[in-house]
Amino acid sequence: MLSPYGLDIIESCMTCKVRAERLFCEISTPSLQAFEQIKYATAYPKGAVLFVEGQAPRGIFVLCKGRVKLSICSTDGKTLILKIAEPGEVLGLSATVAGKPYELTAETIDPCQVNFVKREDFQRYLREHGDACLRVAEQLSEKYNNACHEVRSLGLSHSAGEKLAKLLLEWTSRNGEAAKQEPRLKLALTHEEIAQMIGTSRETVTRLFADLKRRQIVQSKGSTLLIRNKAALKAMATN
Amino acid sequence: MESANQQSCFDCILRPDRVFCDLPSEALEAFDHIKEVCPSPRGTVLFEEGRPVRGIYVLCDGRAKLSVCSEKGKRLIMRVAGPGEVLGLSACLSGTPYEVTAETLDNARVTFVRRKELLKFLREHREACMQVVHLLSEDLHTAYTRVRAVGMVRTRRPSLATAH
Repeated sequence: MLSPYGLDIIESCMTCKVRAERLFCEISTPSLQAFEQIKYATAYPKGAVLFVEGQAPRGIFVLCKGRVKLSICSTDGKTLILKIAEPGEVLGLSATVAGKPYELTAETIDPCQVNFVKREDFQRYLREHGDACLRVAEQLSEKYNNACHEVRSLGLSHSAGEKLAKLLLEWTSRNGEAAKQEPRLKLALTHEEIAQMIGTSRETVTRLFADLKRRQIVQSKGSTLLIRNKAALKAMATN
Repeated sequence: MESANQQSCFDCILRPDRVFCDLPSEALEAFDHIKEVCPSPRGTVLFEEGRPVRGIYVLCDGRAKLSVCSEKGKRLIMRVAGPGEVLGLSACLSGTPYEVTAETLDNARVTFVRRKELLKFLREHREACMQVVHLLSEDLHTAYTRVRAVGMVRTRRPSLATAH
C-alpha cells in the first residue's frame, strides 16, 4: 500500500503502539479522546519547514515519527542548531501556550509524521484537561533543561574542538553505543549543520574531522563514524 | 503549630501582583498547607546545579543569583531572579537535577515546597498548573534569549605540535 513519503501514518492515538513510551501521550482516556478530536495527522518530507522563528503561533506540532532540526538565530545573525527533536517531543509548545511568536525554526531532517493542533483548540483543551496541562509543564521543563545545557555549552566551552568532541560523545550515549570499546555513529547532519550546532564555521568542522581522522581518533566509512580512541575524545571534551 | 515566621499567603500584600501567587482561594489554602517558610540570609545557597531535586523555592522577597558552572569551575551567571519568582520549577517537574545554582543576594524570604507535595497540588488545582505552564514559558523564553546572546564560539587554532 502506498503511503506518503514512505511513512506508515498512525491515524489514531487510541491504537498507537508507541504511545506508552512517550510521556506527553501518557494521559487519561477521556483526555486522549478529546485530543483525538482536535489533532490533524499530517506527513512531511525531509527538508520541510514546519514553522519559522518569529512567526505568529498557529499551534503545536506533536512529532510522532521522524526527526526535526530546531534552530535559533543568534544576535549576530548566525544560525545555531539548538537540538534535534526526537519522536515524542511537542514543537512550538511555549509559543502556542503563551500566544507569542515561535522561538525557533523547525525543519524536518527525515520524512515525518506530525500531529498538528490549532492554537485555540489546544488552549481550550488545556483549560479542560488538568492531566494534559501537567504533561505540558513537564515538556516545557525538559526544553528549559536543554536550553540551559546549551547556554552552559556555548558560554563555557573554550574551543570548537572541545564542543565537537562533547557532541560526538553525547550522540554515542543517545544511540546506546557509549559502552562499546569503539562506538559507532551514523552522521545525520552535514558539516555545515554540525557547525551550526556548536556555533562555529563549516571550515572549522571539516578541519576538526580531518584532524581527528589523522590522529586516528575516529574513522569514517561513508556516513558512519567509528570512534577508535574513546579516551582521547573524552580528553578533548574536557580540555 | 505555626512560628512567628509562618505567614499565611492570604496575609501577603504582594500577592495580587504575582503570577504564581494569584490563585483562587481554594488553591491558595491548599498551598498554605504544603509550604515551609525558610528565611535565607544573604549568600544562602538554596540549591546547587547537578544536585537531586528536592522541591521549589518561591522567592517571596529578595533576589537570587542563578549560575551554571563548567567542569573546571568557571562560573557563568544566567540571570538574577527577583521577588515573586519560583526557582527550581523545571527541575521539579521533570524530576531531573537542578540546572543551575541559586544563591541569595539579599536577606531573602523564601518559601519551600517539597516536590511530591507540589506535583499533587498541581494535579488537584488546574489553575495553579496553568500558572506554572505560563511561568515555564517565560523561563524558556529567557533561556532562549540567553542562547541567542551567547551565540558564536571563539575558535582557537590548534597548535601543530601538541605534546600533551
